[in-house]
Amino acid sequence: MFWRIVGRLFRASRGRLAVALIALASGATVTTALVNLHFDAERKLGAEFRALGPNFLVLPQDSAARTSLSDPQASPLMDESVMDRLAKSQGVGYSAPFLYVVASIYRGQDSHQVVVAGTWLDRAPQLSPWWKIAGGPIVDRNDTSRCLIGRSVAKQLGFAPGSQIELRYDDQKGERRVSLIVAGVVDTGGQEDNQVLASLGTVQNLADAKGRVGLIKIRLTGTLEEFSSRILWLSSELRGYDVRPIPQITQAEGQLLPRIQGLIYAMVALILVLTALCVFASMAALAMERRRDVGLMKAIGGKISRIVAIFLTEAGALGLAGALIGYVAGIFLSRWIGWRAFGVAINARLEVLPLVVALMVGVALAGAFPLRLLGRIRPAEILRGE
Amino acid sequence: MFLRIVAESFARSPRRKLITGAALALGMAVATATLTVALSVGDRLAAEFRSLGANLLVTPKADTLPLEVGGVDYRPVNAGAYLPVDDLPKLKQIFWRNNIVGFTPFLDVPVGGVFDGEAILVRRDGKRSYAPIYGSHSDSLLTSWDKNSGWGLVLIGTWVHHVVKLPDGALFDTGVDITHPWWKIEDGGRWFGEDNAECVVGKKFASHWKIQVGKTISVGTSSSASRLQVTGILSTDGPEDDAIVAPLAVAEKLANQPGKFRKLMVSAVVKPDDAFGRRDPGTFTPAEFDRWYCSAYISSIALQIQQTFLDADVKAIRQVSEGESQILGRISALLWVVTLAALVAAGLAVGATAATTVLERQKEVGLMKALGASKLLVGSFFLGEQLLLAIFGGGLGYAFGVLMARWLSLSVFGVSAPARIILLPVALGLAVFVALAGSLYPLRRAARFDPAPILRGE
Repeated sequence: MFWRIVGRLFRASRGRLAVALIALASGATVTTALVNLHFDAERKLGAEFRALGPNFLVLPQDSAARTSLSDPQASPLMDESVMDRLAKSQGVGYSAPFLYVVASIYRGQDSHQVVVAGTWLDRAPQLSPWWKIAGGPIVDRNDTSRCLIGRSVAKQLGFAPGSQIELRYDDQKGERRVSLIVAGVVDTGGQEDNQVLASLGTVQNLADAKGRVGLIKIRLTGTLEEFSSRILWLSSELRGYDVRPIPQITQAEGQLLPRIQGLIYAMVALILVLTALCVFASMAALAMERRRDVGLMKAIGGKISRIVAIFLTEAGALGLAGALIGYVAGIFLSRWIGWRAFGVAINARLEVLPLVVALMVGVALAGAFPLRLLGRIRPAEILRGE
Repeated sequence: MFLRIVAESFARSPRRKLITGAALALGMAVATATLTVALSVGDRLAAEFRSLGANLLVTPKADTLPLEVGGVDYRPVNAGAYLPVDDLPKLKQIFWRNNIVGFTPFLDVPVGGVFDGEAILVRRDGKRSYAPIYGSHSDSLLTSWDKNSGWGLVLIGTWVHHVVKLPDGALFDTGVDITHPWWKIEDGGRWFGEDNAECVVGKKFASHWKIQVGKTISVGTSSSASRLQVTGILSTDGPEDDAIVAPLAVAEKLANQPGKFRKLMVSAVVKPDDAFGRRDPGTFTPAEFDRWYCSAYISSIALQIQQTFLDADVKAIRQVSEGESQILGRISALLWVVTLAALVAAGLAVGATAATTVLERQKEVGLMKALGASKLLVGSFFLGEQLLLAIFGGGLGYAFGVLMARWLSLSVFGVSAPARIILLPVALGLAVFVALAGSLYPLRRAARFDPAPILRGE
């Protein structure tokens, strides 16, 4: 009987219910999408900051004792095996080792002093996505026959991709030389423009520093909370080394991420309040229309609690249906938002479903709340049509 | 008559009108607020990104290759070219002068130093000599050091907060305070005074040489020497931690290059690069070139600086400018998508509310039709009513939205978003559209009904 009445109510006023359902479903769609977005935004935005390049450095511990900055080879070095330990660390997006030496570059008989950076040439450009390489990039980490040269080096010394360069380096053990083919010219807008970039092995041979590196640049990823624990973990894992942030980058991240998140958070909250209120208004209007039905039921002897239960069931069912439709539509909306904003879909989270259902059913029931007043309705008035 | 009926309807059922009106007002408030924030967020975030520091680098054109690792130049003072400090005020005369928030000249000088009577002469090849000397001997020792071996310590000359007098008489505050906001003086110290013989030392440098605030150190090159009082310990987590940082004037004197600097860092608020901004200016038609020149792209600001400093090479620090462009682009895309979702949600919810209130009034439609009103007339009554509501609701919503945007922007960025009057017609138009679209379908259905059964109460 109860369910038959509810069923009847649904069929009798399809138009109005459809309108309320649209309001509920659109509310649920936006809620689902925005809550999904909110869960994912911090991680996704954090990943976007990769565009700023490395944010941490690993240096030898005793670099504090470094007195001669002018000569990289005078600085203490660390063992290349640190890279293996880093590879196992969580949250290290990219990392690349660097070894800097000042060598002489020969062009005919002229020699110029130049900073030569030895690194993983396959990895360093990934770490710094703004590098532009004219000519061919070097994809083999152990390529000892080719190198990249900075834009200013190419311009000032007249080298181009395909040129052969000779680097000489001398210390107490004598002079070492290496000949390299220029594979490409790198434009970074930074210090690399003035450097020669060769494979780590080449520079280690040149400087007679087998298996040694001077500096490791790291892109650490994650949310702000994950960050601090990862730094702690890294410093304990790399005990004996100096893990330090690049403050320019980390401070900007720490400053911007909360702001952007706050913005998204505020907008999500605004929209949720708006949707809830509009759904509430639709449901309230719908409930008021039910006054006649209530009057009739009461007149033929219905108990008011039972009558109210019937209408609350109606409202609740409507809320549930709206939430389910909206959840499915919201999955597509959040995918679309993800594609538009980040180029990656935002995955739907199942834990959003109960939230949306609870919210929508709650709002629908709250909208039906004025029905409580119906207890006071006198059936005669209603039936007389007043 | 028309107006009377509409007015009567408002007077008779204020509650229903209130619901629709409130829904419209709230919807438009959210629309106005999100649009206001979305419109201004680009500018605000671009300003926030200045915490990344300078995004343009100006170096002398006729220069030798800098021997630069980690931002410090190790060339001896007699190699390479310099730029004149006197030209700097011209930076604030370019077309986008108001976008230039700060600039700082740098002059890195390799020096030898005497701390506490112990001369630390560190040569370029890393070999160190110690020579205990006392008193005024230190200066002569410093200047007599073989200039070919160079110096192993680095003194960075710069401005901290420097007031530049602009050609139009205005004063402009600039220096590392603005371009390098992450440079911090540790507690108990202060920045050096620009006109004094003072300096600050990097924290690693200080701990290695056991230099405390208040000590006097001597630094010198082959041409001159200076005694500087240490006023603070500098912490940057960069190469400056291993250096002495002193007023630019001190570095100029040590390098014997009065009024010159070697490197200028400029921090400018720029528009994120889009496809147009990334194009090669050489390929533009004159009209496109004008448009590009008058847009605050980093490339056009670089060109304008280049045109002012003919002897200089201006380049974008691409790590900063491109990273910034990319992140800004992503964030504004995200905000626009969220704004769009907000608009659609507001539209649907408000439309549904409007539809409900019209649906409730089928009886009135029947009555009017029974009295001989045409469909058109009945429709225009209701639409007129909705229109009125939409205009009130939209106007109220706009005002409310402006306040909301102000609060939102204030709490997120600490700066209030300016109200945009352009959004008033947008909010009104949107409200009218949503209200009418929401009531059109139920009205058409109501108009189709036969008046008799409705009047009978069926």
